[in-house]
Amino acid sequence: MNVLEINNLTKKFSDFIAVDNMSLTIKEGEIFGFLGSNGAGKSTTINMVAGLLRSNEGEIKILGKNIANHSKFAKRNIGIVPQDLAIYEDLTAFENVRFFAGLYGLRGAELKDRVEEALKFVGLVDKQKSLPKNFSGGMKRRLNIACAIAHKPKLIIMDEPTVGIDPQSRNYILNSVRQLNEMGCTVIYTSHYMEEVEEICSRIAIVDHGKIIAEGTKEQLKAIITDTKDIWVDVKSNENLEENVIKEINGVNTVQVEDNVVKINSQAEVSNLNKIIQYFINRNIEIRSLEEQAPNLETVFLTLTGRNLRD
Amino acid sequence: MNVLNIALLQLKISIRDKRTIIFMLAFPIVMMLVLGSALSNAFDNQVKIDKMKVLYKETHNTSIAPYFEQFMKAAKKENIHFYKASDITDGKKAVRQNHYDAYVEVSNKGMNFYGSERNSIESSIIQGMLTAFADKYNLVSQVAKVKPNQTQAVLAGGTSHDYVKEMSLNAKKAPGSMDYYAVAVTTMIALYGAIGATFLLRGERTRNTAVRLAVAPITKAEIFIGKIIGSIVLNLLSLFLIVAVSSFLFKANWGDHLGFVFIILLSEVFLAVSFGLGVSYMVKTGEAARTLILIILQLASFFGGAYFKIEGADGMMKFIMNLSPITWANTAITKNIYNNDFTASLQVIGLNLGIAIVFLSIAIVSFKRREGF
Repeated sequence: MNVLEINNLTKKFSDFIAVDNMSLTIKEGEIFGFLGSNGAGKSTTINMVAGLLRSNEGEIKILGKNIANHSKFAKRNIGIVPQDLAIYEDLTAFENVRFFAGLYGLRGAELKDRVEEALKFVGLVDKQKSLPKNFSGGMKRRLNIACAIAHKPKLIIMDEPTVGIDPQSRNYILNSVRQLNEMGCTVIYTSHYMEEVEEICSRIAIVDHGKIIAEGTKEQLKAIITDTKDIWVDVKSNENLEENVIKEINGVNTVQVEDNVVKINSQAEVSNLNKIIQYFINRNIEIRSLEEQAPNLETVFLTLTGRNLRD
Repeated sequence: MNVLNIALLQLKISIRDKRTIIFMLAFPIVMMLVLGSALSNAFDNQVKIDKMKVLYKETHNTSIAPYFEQFMKAAKKENIHFYKASDITDGKKAVRQNHYDAYVEVSNKGMNFYGSERNSIESSIIQGMLTAFADKYNLVSQVAKVKPNQTQAVLAGGTSHDYVKEMSLNAKKAPGSMDYYAVAVTTMIALYGAIGATFLLRGERTRNTAVRLAVAPITKAEIFIGKIIGSIVLNLLSLFLIVAVSSFLFKANWGDHLGFVFIILLSEVFLAVSFGLGVSYMVKTGEAARTLILIILQLASFFGGAYFKIEGADGMMKFIMNLSPITWANTAITKNIYNNDFTASLQVIGLNLGIAIVFLSIAIVSFKRREGF
């Protein structure tokens, strides 16, 4: 069953086309990764699915029903975890979840049970009477999730839910996403952390300039770029490094420098490793290690869009 | 139910915000206390008269002398003391130098009175008593010409107190400083509800909770109405406490028709909330909306007499004063308390509701047109 179906969706802001004739289907039980750099159109798409923005063209169906005609039905079945914390600092954790769950028609004992269940799920049941202003960043993020799941939505949209938190809280949240999925929720997950998407998402779409330029499982996406290879060179110092000169070496597509690691993407069939090593020797740049990497999502994204995900 | 939930939420988050409580309760009560105490003299309708001193000069062997002696004795009981001037004393100069409240020359031709301009109340009292004495003496003289044996009867026909009669014009119905500032500060704070209203919906956006409200299966109308009800109830609760404190602690007079007073305040709060909401949609940023409203409120408070009472204004000043909703509310409530006059109240309620509807309509149209929240 399709939980979400997007057909020929277009959204314009004056002359700027944010979403350009996009079509997409997400099936029940998927954790769907939505990747795109800033301004690619993913947030606009998510906002239209959540009912925050109106489309210019196209249709969106939630559980088979067009949201234009079944807005309340769609909203009842969606839970959104916004990127920016959306909680009341002057309400306790319990009051926050109860208020938002109450907007979905839950009342009385059922409401109380659902609130406690949601707080237990995110590990905040002991802090239910505390004000979020006294919470750590990770606890606030978890409360942000609890507010979105108490009404038991079929589709949960998580927009960068792990931004700015410690590794422990990040792991907690990633496990929560998996658990929610096991409990029957379909999840749309956006993140700037490629490794998170690679770790938890069953299917991924890469969005660029308002269009989906690639879609599939991570294995399918990696298979797109079998014609390239990644060479990672760990150097002692990158002081004398000139990226443009490396790019001129035959077969090299892109060069990226992150601290002391030079990431070179090159055509697979071109044998240019000797020339690359020679460049470093000529420049007196000491090589500490060198390895050829199998393609990952980062490489796929870079190859397809020409940009890093964090650009 | 959603409307109620949202109204309760608004109440909760406002009440738990210490700054809001300080501003809505502590500020007006302290302001009432400070202004009501500091400016109490400006509202004092009682004048305390101390000992009055009159310098007099009498020509020897006047026919009036014995009666004047009697008058001076009677006047002493009213704390008016006569001091005989020597022949060389310049009585008028002594009054000018504020040594005496009045100077009187008594001769067979009559009495000449010279009163102090500085102590005009004392001077007027003395003049009044002397006039009463002169009238009585003239009467005795006329009676003496016709029936000399009846003069004593005329003289005995009154007491010394006849010279002074205490009268008062609605003394108990005039507002004192605390009465005035209780009303003025309360109506001012009612209008300050506009500041909170600018953040009613904008606050949800800055807090990002607008996203959750917008994706929930509730209508925009429910959010809008819930927010307004919450804000109005909060403002009314705060006004109720201010009125209670001013009434029980400062003994301010709120009259016998408190229900009507609260209907006026309710209409003013409704105006303030609608005004704040309307402006928040008319001005781009929250800070600009807040600044604009603060300026308007300060002017309305100043010309509405919230800081000090403006009396006898006319022309342009009166016109500007009449533009302030605080002036309308103060006038209506004052007439309500002191004259049992409800006509002005009905006019003010109508005016408040009319203007509120205009601003509310602006907010509703803008809110409906806006994508999302």
